Amino acid sequence: MPEPLTTSLQAVFGYSQFRAGQEAALTALEAGQDTLAVLPTGAGKTLIYQLYGYRHAGCVLIVSPLLALMTDQVNRMHLAGFRRVAAITSLTSFGERQMILAHLAQYQFLFLSPEMLAQPAMLARLRQLPLSLLVIDEAHCIVQWGPDFRPEYLLLGAIRERLGSPLTLMLTATADQATKGEIAKQLRTTPTEVTASLDRPNIFLDVEPVANDAAKRERLLTLVTQLVFPGVIYFSSKQLATDTAQWLRDQTGLPVAAYHAGLSSEDRFKIQQQFMQGDLAIICATSAFGMGIDKNDVRYVIHYHLPADLGSYAQEMGRAGRDGQPSLAVLLYAPGDERLPLTLNQANRPDDATIQRFYAHPQAFSVDDPGIALLTFYQQHGISATAVQALFERRERERGRALAQMLAYVREPQCLRARWLTTFDEVAPAHTATCCAPGKVALDLDALGLKRQPVSAPTPVAPSWQAQLRRLLIADAPR
Amino acid sequence: MDPQDLLDLLDDQQARRLRVIENLLRGRKTVSTLYWGQRYDLLYLLSLDKHLARGGLDTVAQTLVSQKMATWLPAEQPQLRLTALGRKQRDQAVTFRPKTQALWPQITLGLARQRLLLSVQVVSQYAHQTARYYPLTTDLATRQAVRQWFHQVKSPELATQVFTALTASLTRLPPMTAQVVTAGFSGYQQPGLTVQQLAQDLQRTPWEVYLRHVDGVVQIAQDARQTDHPLHALLAPAWQTAVTRSAQATLRAVATTDLTLDQVAVQRHIKPSTVREHLLEAAIMLPVTAVPYDRLLPPATRQALLAVLPAQLDDWEYTALPVALQQRFDFFTFRLLAILCDKEGDHHAGTPDD
Ligand SMILES: [Zn+2]
Repeated sequence: MPEPLTTSLQAVFGYSQFRAGQEAALTALEAGQDTLAVLPTGAGKTLIYQLYGYRHAGCVLIVSPLLALMTDQVNRMHLAGFRRVAAITSLTSFGERQMILAHLAQYQFLFLSPEMLAQPAMLARLRQLPLSLLVIDEAHCIVQWGPDFRPEYLLLGAIRERLGSPLTLMLTATADQATKGEIAKQLRTTPTEVTASLDRPNIFLDVEPVANDAAKRERLLTLVTQLVFPGVIYFSSKQLATDTAQWLRDQTGLPVAAYHAGLSSEDRFKIQQQFMQGDLAIICATSAFGMGIDKNDVRYVIHYHLPADLGSYAQEMGRAGRDGQPSLAVLLYAPGDERLPLTLNQANRPDDATIQRFYAHPQAFSVDDPGIALLTFYQQHGISATAVQALFERRERERGRALAQMLAYVREPQCLRARWLTTFDEVAPAHTATCCAPGKVALDLDALGLKRQPVSAPTPVAPSWQAQLRRLLIADAPR
Repeated sequence: MDPQDLLDLLDDQQARRLRVIENLLRGRKTVSTLYWGQRYDLLYLLSLDKHLARGGLDTVAQTLVSQKMATWLPAEQPQLRLTALGRKQRDQAVTFRPKTQALWPQITLGLARQRLLLSVQVVSQYAHQTARYYPLTTDLATRQAVRQWFHQVKSPELATQVFTALTASLTRLPPMTAQVVTAGFSGYQQPGLTVQQLAQDLQRTPWEVYLRHVDGVVQIAQDARQTDHPLHALLAPAWQTAVTRSAQATLRAVATTDLTLDQVAVQRHIKPSTVREHLLEAAIMLPVTAVPYDRLLPPATRQALLAVLPAQLDDWEYTALPVALQQRFDFFTFRLLAILCDKEGDHHAGTPDD
């Protein structure tokens, strides 16, 4: 008889209570049931498999599509006191990969990108491991067609069987009924479902239609000038995130930085830590920003561009107010904004003629093109041209449907929260004054208590480099 | 790189190939890139920007041309030459000259940088008794090297020793450089500033800030060559690889035996052309004394070639040699002579006043 779950929780994390959904998921897993956990961002999904791994011998294998962030994840596990953790992705150097493979049996937690898992040699090695649990992180990627879509996710069902159908935990922050059904079907299982309410009552929802790009910029500046810190502004492009960070810095004198996947890992580390430490008031980010950030006091999240679907939107705006204090999610919308996600949807999608030509002469194409890389993948896995066309059409329809839901949110006249939650089959609480401000309703920052009080901060005097170096390295140096 | 940064890498007397500058930055160590890097006196750029895309300097170069600071010379590879205006602009600007620049081609910068940054973070957190913190993201080899080093040198005096050593190194450099290096470190309650942020604060271009950072890293690594330096075991290995191991082996075989170059190729299981490339690489990267020039370029060879070659080294062209000479001497011999002449300071191209 293993120790009670709460005893383990106390021993490993020092908490006495689980958060919503964690205990139910663990109980199902302990009973040997495959589990699909749909829990909102910040609900502590990783704790579920960390605790399970602690309680059971063998290796927890985690498949995650977020390459760049996997290293972050490993670091955070180290930080939490888990020692035997490693990640293998296409970014892992050859030497490091060999090193990990040589000691594979010693790891308690192993993070793998889908394309690594799909390699026959890797799969053969993993088949020899005693797996206690298979975790499919961001399981909605199985059905999502977007920039982060990984075709290898389609092989997960077959791979899971090759691994002897181990106990499986599917994690996602966002899934409607159709998505949940598709995940189960792809993974060839009938999981126990664990859900927690997606609602974040302390986040005030706001949609603001603006006339055009110039008006949007002005509105952003006004908001940023008035709102309390810290905040995150999401953009759909690295360039615009970078340029706007600079512009806001010049306009407001506030410490603002850009964060996106184009930064070096060193710069990403520094910006993240500056933000965590409170050195930055605002981050201008792309969707690359988020997972590594455990910052509880983010007061607002503004979206400068329309997200591709409500699930992504909820995930990103959900980074506000983890401390439960009043917070704000603003979506700025100019007519025609939906064209961008539409274009992004179609950008990597080869048209039917290209598909036909590719299947006739695959060698004539360069795999540098992401669309062609996708086709190469399908072809190598024996999927016919017709099936690929059907697949693309289906995905495009799904993306179209997701975008339509997003637009319905933008145009919702009554209650944004109700619109959001009912899309995910959840019953919404009644609309109140602290709930939301749809397009035609003005935002009242005073009423929300999120207006910044003007403070005349003394300009910090930069210390001499000698003093700074001393503070860095000598414990009793004057601070 | 901003236009003014590129301006500083160009000349009005010597047309320079943009691709060479680009390849130097990207760390492409072909013999041709290294040779022209040496001719332009820009070898210090080697591997400074490994992530630079191919064609990554084209836009900046176009800007200089459109500002009439430089002109394109039509050639097989586009070459840039400063105009009088560009020259004036370049000379008027107070450009930053890294103090340790001459050492840069000799060091494996990435290794030194990563090890230094991570070890400073580790020592800083250790000094403040922080058990749990986010380590800088580095590769496994760096993490292992730093971990091993730390376990060997860990002591109550370590932080003070490192502080003293770093202070001594940074004092040798301009205050702004010391400031850039210090503010860029990550450690206890200091996430560290990015190059972009420092550039903003100091009103300098990001490129200049980066050069200052590198200057500091190289100065520290140079001082760490002393065996009693606390970072010695960690940073000394950064100095061992100016020339690839394979080229070192070739050079050793040529310098210590009487084998012909083709026999060396057979012995080392490499192509005869590779033997010659190795020797040229070594000739460019190492001091004159490291290469057996007397054997590879006997006096008669030098005299025969120098008699017909132009005075300006940059005007030398193998294909312009008389056919008889081309048949007697291969391109390797011709290029090796050019490297020797450059190193000995003969035939130096460029303006009289530089
Ligand atoms: Zn409402």
